[in-house]
Amino acid sequence: MLELRDLSVSVGDKPILHNIDLKVGAGEVHVLLGPNGSGKSSVLATIMGLSPFEVTRGSILYRDKELDGLGIDERAALGLGMAFQRPPELDGVTVEEFAAALDASRELSDESALLNMEDFAQRDLMVGFSGGEIKRWEVLKLFLQDPDFLLFDEPESGVDLEHIAAIGAAVRKLVSKPAKDGSKRGALLITHTGLILEHIDADQGHLMRDGKIIHSGAPKDLFKHIQKQGYVAPAA
Amino acid sequence: MSESIADRAGELSGTEETILREVGYDAPASRSATAVLIDHDLRVASSQIDGVEIMPIQEALMRYDWVQNLMFHMIAPDENELLRQSVELLDDPIGHFIYVHDGTKVPHPIQTFTVMERPQGRQFTHNITVIGKDAEVDMISGAAVPGNVHAGHHVSIEETYIRDGARCRGVSIERWGSNMLVDSFSRSEVGAGAEVVSNQIMLAALRRHLSDSKTYIGADASSNEQAIIFAPQGTKRTFELEVFLTAEGARSEHLARMVSAGGEIINNNLLVGQAPGTNGFLGCDGLMLSSEGEIVATPSLKAASHESMLSHEASVGMIDKDKLAYLMASGLSEDRARDLIVQGFLNLNDVYIPDEMRAQVTDMIAAAQSGGM
Repeated sequence: MLELRDLSVSVGDKPILHNIDLKVGAGEVHVLLGPNGSGKSSVLATIMGLSPFEVTRGSILYRDKELDGLGIDERAALGLGMAFQRPPELDGVTVEEFAAALDASRELSDESALLNMEDFAQRDLMVGFSGGEIKRWEVLKLFLQDPDFLLFDEPESGVDLEHIAAIGAAVRKLVSKPAKDGSKRGALLITHTGLILEHIDADQGHLMRDGKIIHSGAPKDLFKHIQKQGYVAPAA
Repeated sequence: MSESIADRAGELSGTEETILREVGYDAPASRSATAVLIDHDLRVASSQIDGVEIMPIQEALMRYDWVQNLMFHMIAPDENELLRQSVELLDDPIGHFIYVHDGTKVPHPIQTFTVMERPQGRQFTHNITVIGKDAEVDMISGAAVPGNVHAGHHVSIEETYIRDGARCRGVSIERWGSNMLVDSFSRSEVGAGAEVVSNQIMLAALRRHLSDSKTYIGADASSNEQAIIFAPQGTKRTFELEVFLTAEGARSEHLARMVSAGGEIINNNLLVGQAPGTNGFLGCDGLMLSSEGEIVATPSLKAASHESMLSHEASVGMIDKDKLAYLMASGLSEDRARDLIVQGFLNLNDVYIPDEMRAQVTDMIAAAQSGGM
């Protein structure tokens, strides 16, 4: 469904991702693990086409279509959606207005309870949101957008324990829901704390360090290894 | 109700009603009072309730001798050359007089509109409004032209007297022709303890607009004004605004949100604290939608009393790329994302607009951005 082939990325003159190979099939959830600055968020931002990340080598394929050269909105239109780690404040744009712009007012009213956000309709997007509220909103946003492939950038960081379960349930629901054409969805998720792994069934984990994927394996085992040994590749 | 009211309950054509509805008009039966000036004819001047009088200014001058003391009280006819020429050319002033009697709580808005139907017409109006002591009223005003009128020149003087303890909320929406010249001079006096909320929505293209306004705020009175200003390519809008906090406890907040889509906006605001215990704020925020055009925001403060608290903020910038990227990544087209950001910047949610007009104004913003106005 999504494939990164020998992907290298720079910001300006500075290379930040190196020769990344990654393949996420339909119905699969993959997890990126790694220390701060290892390049996890850059992978997601590059897939989404965000500035200032420039592909210098390799390619990104989504449903066998090359994404290089496509704008952000074109990628979204193809079916990619992303829960941002630090979305910008949008003064004057309420949650309700945003949902209406996406023609998703019904989804807002149907799904906001799942993330305890029933009272947010009149709030300006992200303005005055706590860290946890931002994370919950970003997951709720994906219900409104309804993308076929889901990118989550640390959906549980800064979220209190009570709401991590809610986010986990919402992510699970999003991923398990059939895509618009009836096919299975896919997801790529960054987790720093690993707490979300208790609530979702991830298929594959990838350990990143210094802009490279240095190991791939069973996500929970990989996370346990990191907890014990740090961000080093397990012995073969 | 006075005799003049029945005399002036003229009919509007379907076209006139249509263009006026776009700037807030509703059937006179659903408003407390209505005035509609078509070119040089005050076609409609009707009041539905006791305690609100509305009539041509000439008639008011004849009926109430005190009205002549209000006319040119806050602005001199020779204050500038354009005004002097305009006043000299007309024997009989054209415009409306609104008088809300002391203590009247007006149940529905009073609506007043100006229309120019003659292409390349010249229109000079002088309106006087008196909101009596402890009265409460909502006002809707607007200006419009039919689709075939692109050019002409409109000059207006508004003198508004908000008496002690009165409360007045107002919104005005203008929709002039794309090649028109508009010069508007407004003067307001806000009496002790009175409260004023005033919002101006100026979205449509025109060639040149000069707005010259002065507001004098009395003891413990407050004025809260917001201006929503849009300038597409070929439009130049200049605002010369002065607010005087004349007595102890006077308060003022004036916010201007300006969007240039290639047009020019010059906004010179001066806030003067003349008495102790006064408090005022000027805010000027500008958003540039293209590298063409210009926004010049100059908020100025003048404290004539050491116990006057005055402050200002000004910002001008382009659309934030991160916001645009976020919305596009969420599934919106670039145009729709820009619309949403601009609407958010203009923040109509915080602006007093009658509920029935809110959707219209939102549509006008979208149309203005797409060059449809």
